[in-house]
Amino acid sequence: MSHHSRVILLEVVPLFVLAALYLGVSLALAPELLRRRERFSWLGLGMWLVFILIGTIAALAGGERLSNDEFLSTLSPWVVSALALLALVPGAIFVWRWKERHLLVSAGPRVDKAEREASESRRDAESISRLSTALSRAGSGREAANRLFDELESVLEVTKAMIATVDEEAGVAAGYAARGIDETWWRTVVLDLETARSGVVAVARERTPLVVFDVKTSPQVNQELATRVGAHSAAFVPLLADGRVTAVLAVASEKPRLFTPSETELMQDLANETALALGHASSRDALEEALERERVISEIGRRVRSELDLDAVLNVAVTEVGMALDLSRAFIRLGDSGDDAPVRAEWVAPGVETIGNAAGRLPVSTLASRERRTVVIRDILVAPDLDDPSLGGRDSLVELGTRAVIATPILVFDRIIGIFALHRAEASVWSPHDVSVAEAVAREIGIAVHTAQLLQQNERRLQEQAALLKAGQVLTSDLRFSSVIQRLVTEVVQLLRADAADCWVYDERRTMLRCEAVLGVPERNVGREIVPEGTFEHVLSTGRALLKRDFARTESPTPTEDYRVFAEVMDAPITWLGEVRGVLGVCAREHGHFDEKDLELLDTFARLASLALHNAESFGERERQAQVQRGFYRIAEVLGSTLSLGETLDALAQAACDALGGSSALVLEPSGERLRLTGAHELRAELREAFAQGLPGDVSSLRTAAEENRILSSPSLERDDRFEESLRELLADQGYRSLISAPVLGAEGQKHAVLVLFREERKFSDDDLALARHLTGAARGALERAELFEGERRAHTFSQRLADIGGLLATKLDPAAAFEEVVREAPVLLDADSAVLRLIENDDLVVRAAWGPGTQGIRNMRSSSAGGAVGIAAQSRAPLAVSDARETPRFGHEDPLLANGMVSCVAVPMVIHGGGLSGVLTVYDSEVRTWREDEVQALSALAATASAVFSSAELYQRVAEEKERSEAILANIADGIVAVDRDGDIVLWNATAEQISGVPAAEALGRRVSKVLQRDLAAGEGATPGERTLSIQRGDKEVWLSVSEAVMLDAAGAVAGRVFAFRDVSSERVVEQMKSDFVATVSHELRTPLTSIYGFAETLMRGDVEFSDPERKTFLGYIASESERLINIVDDLLSVARVETGTLRLTIEEIDVGALAGEVVARAQEHADRWELELDLPAAGVVVEADREKLFQVLLNLVDNAVKFSPDGGRISISARRRAESAEVRIADEGIGIPRADQQRIFSKFFRAEGTGPGVEGTGLGLFLARGLLLAMGGRIWVESKEGRGSTFVFELPAAASGVVEEAPEKVTA
Amino acid sequence: MALTVLVIDDEAPIRLLCRVNLEAEGASVLEADNGLAGIEVARQERPDAILLDVMMPGMDGWTVAQELLEDEATRRIPIIFLTARADVRDRARGLGAGGLDYITKPFNPVELADLVGGVVDAVQRGEREELRAEKLSELRDLLGTT
Repeated sequence: MSHHSRVILLEVVPLFVLAALYLGVSLALAPELLRRRERFSWLGLGMWLVFILIGTIAALAGGERLSNDEFLSTLSPWVVSALALLALVPGAIFVWRWKERHLLVSAGPRVDKAEREASESRRDAESISRLSTALSRAGSGREAANRLFDELESVLEVTKAMIATVDEEAGVAAGYAARGIDETWWRTVVLDLETARSGVVAVARERTPLVVFDVKTSPQVNQELATRVGAHSAAFVPLLADGRVTAVLAVASEKPRLFTPSETELMQDLANETALALGHASSRDALEEALERERVISEIGRRVRSELDLDAVLNVAVTEVGMALDLSRAFIRLGDSGDDAPVRAEWVAPGVETIGNAAGRLPVSTLASRERRTVVIRDILVAPDLDDPSLGGRDSLVELGTRAVIATPILVFDRIIGIFALHRAEASVWSPHDVSVAEAVAREIGIAVHTAQLLQQNERRLQEQAALLKAGQVLTSDLRFSSVIQRLVTEVVQLLRADAADCWVYDERRTMLRCEAVLGVPERNVGREIVPEGTFEHVLSTGRALLKRDFARTESPTPTEDYRVFAEVMDAPITWLGEVRGVLGVCAREHGHFDEKDLELLDTFARLASLALHNAESFGERERQAQVQRGFYRIAEVLGSTLSLGETLDALAQAACDALGGSSALVLEPSGERLRLTGAHELRAELREAFAQGLPGDVSSLRTAAEENRILSSPSLERDDRFEESLRELLADQGYRSLISAPVLGAEGQKHAVLVLFREERKFSDDDLALARHLTGAARGALERAELFEGERRAHTFSQRLADIGGLLATKLDPAAAFEEVVREAPVLLDADSAVLRLIENDDLVVRAAWGPGTQGIRNMRSSSAGGAVGIAAQSRAPLAVSDARETPRFGHEDPLLANGMVSCVAVPMVIHGGGLSGVLTVYDSEVRTWREDEVQALSALAATASAVFSSAELYQRVAEEKERSEAILANIADGIVAVDRDGDIVLWNATAEQISGVPAAEALGRRVSKVLQRDLAAGEGATPGERTLSIQRGDKEVWLSVSEAVMLDAAGAVAGRVFAFRDVSSERVVEQMKSDFVATVSHELRTPLTSIYGFAETLMRGDVEFSDPERKTFLGYIASESERLINIVDDLLSVARVETGTLRLTIEEIDVGALAGEVVARAQEHADRWELELDLPAAGVVVEADREKLFQVLLNLVDNAVKFSPDGGRISISARRRAESAEVRIADEGIGIPRADQQRIFSKFFRAEGTGPGVEGTGLGLFLARGLLLAMGGRIWVESKEGRGSTFVFELPAAASGVVEEAPEKVTA
Repeated sequence: MALTVLVIDDEAPIRLLCRVNLEAEGASVLEADNGLAGIEVARQERPDAILLDVMMPGMDGWTVAQELLEDEATRRIPIIFLTARADVRDRARGLGAGGLDYITKPFNPVELADLVGGVVDAVQRGEREELRAEKLSELRDLLGTT
């Protein structure tokens, strides 16, 4: 360390510290000196000055030493330091005794004492004055108390102080305010002025202050409280106002302290000062407390009212009150009976048990309930009210840790509905505030509970009404009884949340209940019928709804075994117009399910149900009426339209069925012992069959009812012994349970019974009976109309049938066949079984035809025409109808059919034209039968037809034979025979006509001649009778007919038909034509040369013209050549005649064909310069044996023909060849040729080939003549030709035996 | 006035006969030996009258008459049939076919010119139809009598 540093550390610093200390103290003492200047002391001043001096020196020295090294350098720094520290000691001591500084600066203890006394008195006065001022500003008692505590603390240094108020009337002192201790606790302290040992109590009684130095030893002090406060010494001062102790002030000290009399006096003064303020403040406090209470109550009330749910209300109430009044528990019991009303809401302070199952043992609330007042108990252990053992004792409360209780009844309109109870764990005084709160809240709860109950009731009522409304809607939405009743049970189950429901309908007449609908109970109960007992009986007899609890056990018997499972049942009557019509019930499996409200609801619902059921019944009734109306309409419809009896009866059945709402209906007619089914509606086939066979068993009841015109009803067939067992069984098998029968009279008095069958047992109302009667009346008209119609129709049918049969019979030419037809048709006509036709033969009746049962083997059986029913009819010539032949036994003897099963018959005579009897027709029936007049008439008509047939059939037979003969003749006649009727239609077309026309008879018959032959055969009006020739087409060929015509006239002179007879004259006609043509041709051929001869002769003879010689020569030449031509023609004609007559004379010689042909060619060439004529002959020549002239004629003809038929010119060759025995000559041309069809005919007389045309000259005799001549000469001729290619005529002649000349062929060409 | 007469006939002697006798009376004569040739000549020469044979090879007289009458050029030329067909029905047919007269062979050729001249005159006088009616009437008389 440097020197300098050492100097500073050891010298300067201590010096400055010294300076600071002394100067600081001086400075600090300065105000004290100034304050105590009245009691100025020199010592004090001197010491102060010394201190300043020391401080100043030290400061200066320090500063010098710092700035001047020399200063004090002589002294060791340690010395300086030591000196400085030494000088520091007095100052430090002064600071140490700082609190006693005033002793130092003042005048000392005596002065102090005097001063103290003076100041104490002054303090007291000041204190009182200050308190007074403070109190005057204090707003409340508690504030006043606090001001007092402030003053006590500041003046007397008291830290623990308490005030307890004294209520002399109540005889208690209660903690009010405190400081220095737990004020909350203090406020709970209550001291009995009579009994408690306490300084407070003592002071309250004595009205004098009490000072206790050591509380532990003081008998007057409450040790418990003292301990709690922690006091060693204490003082108690009464607060007096108007001479009364209103409160007691207690102050305590933890340390031993003896409160001096002056202090006590001061406290008393201050207490007195405070008492007054406290009195005023207490009044204000009371007011405020009341206001606060009201506030609390109104707040709780507000919150309570703000809740709608009752449980929420109760919870709010207990919670709010519990917290507001600092309780351990608050709860509400609800129920009119206080003893066992359950706890509905509870609030507990943290850590406190709930009541739990101790609810039944709450004596205080029970007491409050019993006495209908608020019970306030400060401490249950000492409360005499709880001594009553019936309340249940205190134990339960003790167990719950409760000491103090308030219980107040909750009233609604003077009726206790519950208890509101408040608990505290400690015994405590319940302030009026507490009680007021409890009571006020209880009232609020009452109102809330009442409101909530009302709301709940309203809600339920609304629910019920809504449910009822819905149920009502549902019930009225359907109009059918069965649906309504089913819905009824469905809805009531929903409405009452029941497990099951049922609906029973009451049959008052039978006193039976019938189950109509169930829900929740097995369906098998529907339809059951029971005698009302128990609950049902009660409900039916009283007409009131009944709730039956503990049903399974107490109801005996239950309606059915299925009801044993139910614990509760409610039944309500269904009434209408004061009459119980049924019972509606609901069932529950649990006990306590239904209450009175439910019962009311069920009752209401049952009323609704009554309405709905009534509506349904009305609807059903209306519907039934509508059905009835429809039935009437149906009948009216039937009446309006003419229907057959069968249809009318069916319609009647339907109408009855519809009108009465039955399942099926049928119409029966008594027939002998049986009932015959005549009409039906919806009747099953089995039943129809059964009835068709006749009703089984005894039907007398039905028959009698019908006959006596009575309505017969059977509501329950099963039990109705008016009907035979078998009938009942039959109907029951078909599912019918009841029936009603109404009589209906037919037009002819037939008694029908309309029987309507029902599938259910049925009570027939007056309406039903009226309906049945109405039906009876209404149906009669319809039936009369139908019978009339039926009669007409029958007549029509008969006549139609008869006409048909007549038509049929008319076609029967054989009488036996006609009779067979008659006996077949007769039973059909009369709807009977058999028919027999007997003919009179030798005064006997002989069976000639029979048909039907019982007629086997009776054919040809003879019987007398005088016996039996048939004999009577024959003798009387009048019909005989027998309804029941058994009544006349002899009929049976005479008639095999009546003897064997047939019961009734009708026999009609067959009268032939002119009044004669031909036989008897009899119809039989196996049943008794009343033959109607129209039936007898119809049969008579049939018999007449049969007679006519009998007559005409014989006639027919003869005619037929005649016709057959005629037909045979016609068929074999050579002429075609065609007959047409008056309409022109062909009725006869014989075989020859077929051949000639080529049209088969089948095609021609029935058609018109003009259509068949494409032209008419008739001559037409005004034509001359006789044969005519006309042509028709057969295929593509023209056929010429020679027709003669005969007109057939009927009786009236009108044309009834025509007969044409014709022959095919085509071939004759051809010949005729050829002849005619021949004549014309020959005429032409003769006239042409004659014209020239005659003409030139006349010309030459003309005197007026002079002809030259060449002219004359020419003219004469023509006369000569034409004459020759004429001679040739005449020769030909003569030759033909000779050929035909066989008178041809021949001169046979050997002729050289070649030479002769040459002549012919030369001759022909004169006229035919356009043709090339050629000869082709063998060199040896061909020699034949022939007549020279005739052969020349043949050759010339052939060459002429060749020229004639080669109009375009061309080559014509003549060739000859020698054969073994004959010679063959061919003349070939290149002309038009000959059609194949004509190749044979060209050799016939007069034939001129087609296409030759009239322009081609020639007699047509050339080839005929050539052939004839060649044949005559032992030769033959034929032609080889193709149409268009020319022809070659070839002939053969016997060759000459000698003179066969073999020469080369010589061709001659011209 | 000289007439021009067309003779249609296949027989040369008869054509010659007609020519000689008609020319002798001052008429000029045209000839044709078949129908087609006759029609051609008639169209070209427009004769005053035509003597027409019926039975000719090829086209017969009936057809020729029909052709001539259908042709505007020859329609008005009077046709006189000259034929060996003497039957009344043939006569009727001839008149029906439009002929104004009907001469049957054999005939007196000396009278031919007068006959032709008469017909031509009548036609030229516009009495064609009257002539036909007259001939038809004659024919009916003839038919009635046979």
